[in-house]
Amino acid sequence: MDTFFTPKPRSASSARLFRLGGRALLYVLLITGAIFTLIPFIWIILTSFKPASEIIKIPPTFLPQNWSFKSYETIFTDPKVPLARFYLNSTFVTVMRVLITLFTSSLAGYIFCKYRFAGRNLLFAIILAQLMIPFQVVMIPEYLILVKLKLIDSLWGLIIPGMVDAFGIFLMRQFIESIPSEMIDAGRIDGASEFGIYWRLILPQMGPALAALGIFTFMAVWNDYLFPLIVITTPERRTLPLLLTWYNSQHGSRYDLTMAASVLVMLPMLVAYIFFQRWIVRGVAMTGFK
Amino acid sequence: MANVAIPLMKKIEPDKGQRLWPWQKWFVYGSLTPIMALLLFFSILPVLWVFVLCFYNYSPTRAGSGFLDMGGANPFIGLGNFKAMFADLQTSAIFRKSFVNTIMFAILVLPINLAITLPLAVLVESSQARLKGFFRAIYFMPVITSAVAVAIMWGYIFHPQQGLLNLMIKTIGLTPPRAWLTDPRAVYFGIPLAMIAVIISYIWQDFGYNLVIFIAALQGIPNEFRDAAKVDGANAWQEFWQITLPLLRPTMLFVCVMTTLSSLQVFVPFQVMTNGGPAFQTEVLVKNIYDNAFRYKQMGWAAAISIVLFLLVLIFTVIQFRLLRSDSGLEY
Repeated sequence: MDTFFTPKPRSASSARLFRLGGRALLYVLLITGAIFTLIPFIWIILTSFKPASEIIKIPPTFLPQNWSFKSYETIFTDPKVPLARFYLNSTFVTVMRVLITLFTSSLAGYIFCKYRFAGRNLLFAIILAQLMIPFQVVMIPEYLILVKLKLIDSLWGLIIPGMVDAFGIFLMRQFIESIPSEMIDAGRIDGASEFGIYWRLILPQMGPALAALGIFTFMAVWNDYLFPLIVITTPERRTLPLLLTWYNSQHGSRYDLTMAASVLVMLPMLVAYIFFQRWIVRGVAMTGFK
Repeated sequence: MANVAIPLMKKIEPDKGQRLWPWQKWFVYGSLTPIMALLLFFSILPVLWVFVLCFYNYSPTRAGSGFLDMGGANPFIGLGNFKAMFADLQTSAIFRKSFVNTIMFAILVLPINLAITLPLAVLVESSQARLKGFFRAIYFMPVITSAVAVAIMWGYIFHPQQGLLNLMIKTIGLTPPRAWLTDPRAVYFGIPLAMIAVIISYIWQDFGYNLVIFIAALQGIPNEFRDAAKVDGANAWQEFWQITLPLLRPTMLFVCVMTTLSSLQVFVPFQVMTNGGPAFQTEVLVKNIYDNAFRYKQMGWAAAISIVLFLLVLIFTVIQFRLLRSDSGLEY
């Protein structure tokens, strides 16, 4: 096909050479890009396995001359760093946020899509308006509200304000539009309750949308730094990103330690990414948001 | 999360569906009441509040009197906070610096990001089907990584003696800068070196996102268009500029708006990697808001800066919509 429509006919062999060269160049560029993307990861993983004495060598080494697990040992045995506690904090906040967001977004999205009621357009306009406000603009009142509610310095303070996600509602509403209303009517004729229709008819069909929203809520909450930074003050209640900056401020020049801590914080996400890469990337392409 | 672009780009469909029966009202209002109450309380109320707070000299350390502690020791000062932005004070000077730096960062990030992601998307798309997913997965990896971990690891990569970057620059025989993140005198073409360093690390983390969007958009272009171009005798270069690029216009608008908005809101590298330094060369609005509100407890002043950030976000979005909206009605 390609050769058939090549605009300026060349002799067969030179055309093939040209294409071969193009292919080679293509992969050289793609591989160079991949190396630049991966090298920071590789470098910090390698650094975390270097002994402290090797870190301060000038010029620096790329591969560790002596592999050492000392940095990880130091972190795991540091009584001021109960790692399991921080993993648990991050996991608790993230899982709660994901589950609640999926529920409220799909329920509200379904109602906004398939029901006609007084005030619908006004309420939906409020949701759209909220989408236009960056968190950074409203973080001060957000903090003051949490102070009034005595939710400051509590993991619930990280969960409750995020229980309803305007973007999630918007996304779910878009998706539910593709589900035929006839099906809902059929459910009604069969005697299903309104909530039963949502729970048993609508939800099971929303797999891709729920997966996309769930993955992104997970990523956003797990990696979030600014919100926990203003809410959490007690060391034991820190989430992983807060732990990492604190640890960095304590051991700033000990790169073996800070890099090992960074690896430990990144690891769960990277492992999840290796397994769910396809869904994650597809979800971005589908929803187009971060 | 700023998703300004999305609601603006999609039309709201007119009401469809049926009117409510009485028993359905219970379900609809029963479900929506708590959901909308939470949204109003935690998302809409703060917006109104910040627009009130910016007219007060408010600090949470002072117990004011009246509604929400506004009044008494936290007095109403009208446009005082906004006037202070032009004052000859150090805090005002730092604010103005952060304003300029925020715009500089956003304006530099967008073209660099596009110059990398758009050609790279075309390259990935023209690679073999089996390798496509592989490259895409690698390029997307930094996006899912914690921004804090990225800031800490790039802080180390930029280390003048022990860092990887200077090691690489020396290896290819060039003279690296003495200090990437701490030398206030290192300025290239009016851009401080520390700012360049943050841009490098930010683009490294962020480019995979736009790449994936562009790849998806490229896959959405029907082959007939390209085939038709080939029949007409277009080479790959012409095909890209005259067929692919115009068809990518809606995606382009989306990507530009999203990239600009998120770069106006960047906080982590400026806080963790450079801490605004050296000499406030990487001080940006979000960091300025955070410092004033939560370190110096000057929340009224910080609220006024938040309003400036909000207006900046709004202005950038409107400008891009004006420039990039497709009037040709080209759809596929």
